[in-house]
Amino acid sequence: MGWLGRTQHKVGAKMTSGRNGAWLRPCAQAQQDHGTRGGWRSGAGRFGLAVLLASTTACSAIKAPVPKDPDALAEYKAANDPYEPLNRKTYNMTMKVDKYALRPVAKAYVWAVPRPVRNSLGNMITTMNEPSVFFNDVGAGKPRRAGDSFVRWCINMTAGLGGFIDVAKMAGYPHHANDAGLTMANWGISSGPYLFLPMGPSSVRDGIGYGIDQGLSPWNYVPRGYGLISFNWAYNMMGVVHGRAEHLDDLDALQRDALDPYATIRSAYQQQRKAQAEAIRNDHRATVPAWYQ
Amino acid sequence: MTFSASRRGVLGFLAVASIGLAPVSAAWAAQDARTFIQSFGEQLVAIVNSPLSLADKKEKIMPLVSRNVDIDGIGRYCLGRFWKTATPEQQQHYLVLFHQILANAIADKLGDYRGVSFTIGNVTRVGDDDSVEATLMRPQQPPAAMQWVVNSSTGSPKVVDVIGEGASLRLTQRNDYSSFIARNGGDVEALLRALQKQIDHHNAASAQQ
Repeated sequence: MGWLGRTQHKVGAKMTSGRNGAWLRPCAQAQQDHGTRGGWRSGAGRFGLAVLLASTTACSAIKAPVPKDPDALAEYKAANDPYEPLNRKTYNMTMKVDKYALRPVAKAYVWAVPRPVRNSLGNMITTMNEPSVFFNDVGAGKPRRAGDSFVRWCINMTAGLGGFIDVAKMAGYPHHANDAGLTMANWGISSGPYLFLPMGPSSVRDGIGYGIDQGLSPWNYVPRGYGLISFNWAYNMMGVVHGRAEHLDDLDALQRDALDPYATIRSAYQQQRKAQAEAIRNDHRATVPAWYQ
Repeated sequence: MTFSASRRGVLGFLAVASIGLAPVSAAWAAQDARTFIQSFGEQLVAIVNSPLSLADKKEKIMPLVSRNVDIDGIGRYCLGRFWKTATPEQQQHYLVLFHQILANAIADKLGDYRGVSFTIGNVTRVGDDDSVEATLMRPQQPPAAMQWVVNSSTGSPKVVDVIGEGASLRLTQRNDYSSFIARNGGDVEALLRALQKQIDHHNAASAQQ
């Protein structure tokens, strides 16, 4: 179980936290060969989700039966997971892939690469995603946060040698997370039903946000060439492996201690997203930095 | 330790005495919760950082946790809607297992930490409880922010929940248990068996070490 045991780690939320979930990036790269741009990809994501939802509502075997008992009904509503049977299938499949492919690779990565180097790679992955954070900060109407991520990008890409050293953090601009799902949450859009996607726990809103974030990343708009494609592939795979390596112990503990890991991950994910959105909403710091006032 | 215990006793007495003064008591309760967490945290950290052997640490830490954490209350909360449907014997059995599992979880974590320290931040009122912000610092690891939820309704303050990364541990645990029971046909006995199995596994693993 691990009640207190889970105090210290992220409760198994992000399995591919590297750079806003980089699992799907290689596919996105392939799509780009048709001369398309990231912009429509968010639209495609939306369309894909709509199709997925339409098909799931049509097929009742994918939807869980609504319980009659009032207590059970309250619990069903709180879990916000009408597509639980489908989600559990995706979860099992993802965990199988994880067990035989991703987790061993992540373990090998931790074994082979010393911690300082891993930290530098983590810094690079975080910095490279900073533009997406910036656009979302702007979208959420939080100029101070947007300023922070902008400054982080400028400092780390230059003084930080392309992101390898987190100079901005030393200068008092620590990283903060943001993504389009959280931005929409701040616009008052509710999460919609819980979804377990191949890249981890999500919801209808966060799944759409994931697609939008792909479009917000500038790496999709750099002129294509062999060098960039190689870089993008390396970067994305690095992001996935690094992100997984960050959560090796947490996910192992969760798999070992939880009686129903699926339900535990669902609960932790939903609570964390709510807390993250609230933290952004409650950030009322002044736009002008303290040293200027 | 005797000093802090007596100080807590005095604070507890003052907290009870100030119940009549409604406007004062809310502010006082916040202060009380903060002092309580400060003292509990200091005692925990002192054991964790001490050069004692792992077995000695385990022995010292459990009485401290039992005194300061409302384990029965958390256990009841975690069983959720199935607490009502469980027989008194099942409830009793469940609480015994729950205590054991909590002790195991703490024992597992003890070996991982050395050289830890913590700071206490704001105290906010959430319903009947006080939520105390704390940041745990461990060497070579990013600081971990958490909130300790303290309830003082029984007269003495007790920890009733810990929130880490925005997720309440007791709520997450309750969802784990209720989902497991629901998927086993609403049978509380299935949960008791699973918990017993976890404890057996843990004992077998620690016997091997």
